[in-house]
Amino acid sequence: MGRAQKVLSFLLTHSKIMMPKLNPTVIYEFVVTVFLACWFLATILCQFKETKVSWFIRYKIDFFSLIPLWTFFAPHPGKRDYHLLFRDKITDGNYSEWQEMEITEERTIWSWLWNPEKRDKKILSDVVQSLVSSIPSYREKTGSLNLLMFSTPYIIVLHAISQYKKQSQNCFRQFMLAESSGYQKETTPSLILLSVFHQI
Amino acid sequence: MILFNDLSQTVLIILSIGLFISTLEYLKKVQIFSPSGLLSWNVMQLKWTKQDQKSFLKPFFKLFSAPGLAGLFIIRCLLIVGLLFYPLQSTTGWILISLLGASLLLASLVTYYGSDGSDQMSMLIIITLILCNLPVLASGKLRDIGLWFIGLQACLSYAVAGIAKLVSSEWRSGTAIKDVFSTKTYGSKKASLLLQKYPAANRFLCWNVIIMESLFPLCLFLPWEFALIFLIWGFTFHFFTALIMGLNSFFWAFMATYPAIYFINHQMPWHLF
Repeated sequence: MGRAQKVLSFLLTHSKIMMPKLNPTVIYEFVVTVFLACWFLATILCQFKETKVSWFIRYKIDFFSLIPLWTFFAPHPGKRDYHLLFRDKITDGNYSEWQEMEITEERTIWSWLWNPEKRDKKILSDVVQSLVSSIPSYREKTGSLNLLMFSTPYIIVLHAISQYKKQSQNCFRQFMLAESSGYQKETTPSLILLSVFHQI
Repeated sequence: MILFNDLSQTVLIILSIGLFISTLEYLKKVQIFSPSGLLSWNVMQLKWTKQDQKSFLKPFFKLFSAPGLAGLFIIRCLLIVGLLFYPLQSTTGWILISLLGASLLLASLVTYYGSDGSDQMSMLIIITLILCNLPVLASGKLRDIGLWFIGLQACLSYAVAGIAKLVSSEWRSGTAIKDVFSTKTYGSKKASLLLQKYPAANRFLCWNVIIMESLFPLCLFLPWEFALIFLIWGFTFHFFTALIMGLNSFFWAFMATYPAIYFINHQMPWHLF
C-alpha cells in the first residue's frame, strides 16, 4: 500500500470518530446556527453610521424589518411633539380655520400597562421624521421640494388629512407639519413643512 | 403540559404576555388600517413598488384592510392563549408559535411606520424559538444556541444604546432625559417639572443610563450574584420607562430575554472574578 493510500485510509477511519455523522439533525443545526450568526453580524453592521453594506442589508434584504436599530433615544433624543394641521381653501384668499388632527393624547394612569395611543403617536413621529430626513436630499437633487410630494410619508399625511369632512365638494386642502416642546411652554411651536393646496 | 423549568418556554411565556397586550392595543386602534386611517393599505402598498414584491403581496391585499387585520389580531390572541396549553417542544406548540410568527411577519408589512424596538425584539425571539424548536430536527444543542442568540442580541441592544448615548453631547451634559420627559409623546408633566427643579437628578439619570447600558454585557461574564445587579437595574429601568414614558411593550419584550441571559451566564466557562 502506497503512502498516499495509507494517509487516505487513516483519514477515512478517523474522520468517522472526529466528525459527527451528517444526519438531518446535524445539517439542520448547522444551517440554523449559520443563519443566526449572520443575523447577529448583520445587526452589528447596521448599528451607528450608515454604510454601503448596512444600506444594502436594510433596504435590499430586510423585507420584514428584522434587523433592529438599537440606538434608542440616541444620539439625538426626540425632544419635540409633532402636530399635523390642515385647512381648506373656500375661495381665493378665503380659508377655513386650521384644524389639528388629534394625535398627542395625554396618557392615563394605566398607560404603563395598557397604552394603545402610543401607536398613532409613533406612526406620525416616524412619518414626520422620515419626511424631515428626506428634505435635504430632495433639495440637493432637484433644488426644490416638488418631488417630496411623491414620497410615501408625504402621501400618508395627505391621505390622512384628506379623510376629514370637506368644506365643499370640490375641496382644496393644505396641511402643515409643526413641532412644539410639549410641556416646556416657554418655547414657541415651529413650522416644519407647509404643503401646497391639494384637490381632494 | 408546560414546564416552567424550561428556559425557552419561560422566554415564550414572558414574551406572550407582552404580545397579547400589544395585539389587543392594535385591535383597539384597528381604525388606523381603515381606508381613512394613517396606515391605510391604499397608501402603505406604495412602499412595495417592484413587480415581484407586488405579486408576492397580492394574495394578502384583503387581509391588510381593517376587518382583515382585526381578524388576524383575534387569531393571534387565540394562538397566544393556545400556547399556554401546549409546550413549545410539542408539535402542536410548534405549529401555534409558527402561526404566531407568520402573523407577526405579515403585519410587519403594513406596520412599517409605527413599530418600535420592542416589536423587533419580539419578532427576533419568536423566529429564533420557531427555528430552534422544530420537532424532530431541532436538538437540545440547537435550543441552547437559540438562547445564546437571544441573550447576545439583548446585550448588544443595551450596549449599542449605551454607546450611542455616550457619544451624544445631549446625554453627556445631562439634559436629554428632561427634554424627552418634556414631550407629550414620551414624557410626563410631573416628571418634567421634577427634573426642571432638580438638574442634578437629571444628570444622575442620564449618566446612570449611559453607564449601565454600556456595561450591560458584563452581566454575561460576572459571577451570578453580581450579574443580577444589571438585571435588577434593567427591570427597574423598563418598569419606569413603561410608567413614565408609556413604553409598556418594551418591558415584556426585554424581560423575555433575561432567562436567556441567565442561561448564558451559567454556561460561561469562566467569570471575571
